Amino acid sequence: MISSRILPIFALLVAAGIFFIYVSPTWSGPVTEIKSAIDAKEKALAAADAYKKQQNALIADRNTIDPEDLTRIAAFLPDSVDNVGLILDLNALAARSGLSLSNIDVTTNSVVTPTSRSTAGALPSKNTNMTSSIDLSLSAVGTYSALQTFLSGVEKSARILDVRDIQVKGSDTGVYTFQMKIRLFWLR
Amino acid sequence: MLPPSIPTSFVPRSAGVARRRFDFDLTSSLGFLAYILLAVVFALAIGVFSYESILTNNKNVKQATLDKATAAIDSATVKNFVRLRNRLDAGYSLIENHVAFSNFFALFETLIPVTVRFTSLHLALNDTKAVRLDGSGVAKSFNALAVASAAFAADGRIKDAIFPNIVVSSKDGSVSFALTAMLDPKLIAFSPTASAAPVSKLPQESASTTPTL
Repeated sequence: MISSRILPIFALLVAAGIFFIYVSPTWSGPVTEIKSAIDAKEKALAAADAYKKQQNALIADRNTIDPEDLTRIAAFLPDSVDNVGLILDLNALAARSGLSLSNIDVTTNSVVTPTSRSTAGALPSKNTNMTSSIDLSLSAVGTYSALQTFLSGVEKSARILDVRDIQVKGSDTGVYTFQMKIRLFWLR
Repeated sequence: MLPPSIPTSFVPRSAGVARRRFDFDLTSSLGFLAYILLAVVFALAIGVFSYESILTNNKNVKQATLDKATAAIDSATVKNFVRLRNRLDAGYSLIENHVAFSNFFALFETLIPVTVRFTSLHLALNDTKAVRLDGSGVAKSFNALAVASAAFAADGRIKDAIFPNIVVSSKDGSVSFALTAMLDPKLIAFSPTASAAPVSKLPQESASTTPTL
């Protein structure tokens, strides 16, 4: 009679114990965590799949661009400042134009700061300004038409150059003194 | 006379026997329910354990697939694409803001009469893309200077042209002057097919093909 009452109570206690000690904590703990981890991995896998498709599309798009154009784009905005190479080019252009360069110097260092911060290791966002620039100041002597030819050459240079400042001082001989500031850019 | 099927006497049953049977049934039922509950909870525990194992296995499989997909990503390719995108975006922005002072000189030489001579000229571009023009020169006469001033005003691309420090020479009647003005940003905007022809042809004393500086 006693055992017939104790055993069901014991069974009830065991059932409660199993439920509250194992079933419920396992369900709300590790099982939920694993499920959310699986969700995250599924999202990551979907992103990886989307990335693969996007990469293939981009590779296909890039292959449609003429390699010569890509080279020109790289020359238009180079990876480094390379002001020495540029000075050689400017000197050659001045010589072709009939100008005589007398002094070339780097006047300011105006590094462009990024417009948005990116976390370490993260890919740069689209709005991040990735260019830097410095100003070259140069003095030259020559005729007015030589200046025009030189200016036109600078403006249509394969590497983008912005003339920021020009000073012209006249003379009675037809030979003028020019001072210019030219801003050059590169990709950071 | 009563019918023969009806009992002739009534013998009441013991009330204690009926109550005992009722107590026994309730206990048994509760006991049975407790065992059922234990069985259900036990089954639930096995189910949770199995489900957890399946989920863990599933997670490991997905992790392996993800690792494989991550390993397939070539960071150099990504970097090249990002760099190309930045180069194209930055290049587009730079070409939009590219300046061409040769447009100004081409215009200037058509506007200035040969009787006006500049001894110095200074063009400065600031970061807001505004260009300030400062100069000084000598005009053969006051009328020549007036023609230059009218030409600037009529063209409209050399704005706010002010001629201060005007001094008339008592010796030969020539006029020395200074010039300050602002340039229309459109005048110095780069275009591969830019034309610096004046907006309107103006009556001039005579236009020079090369300005006298």
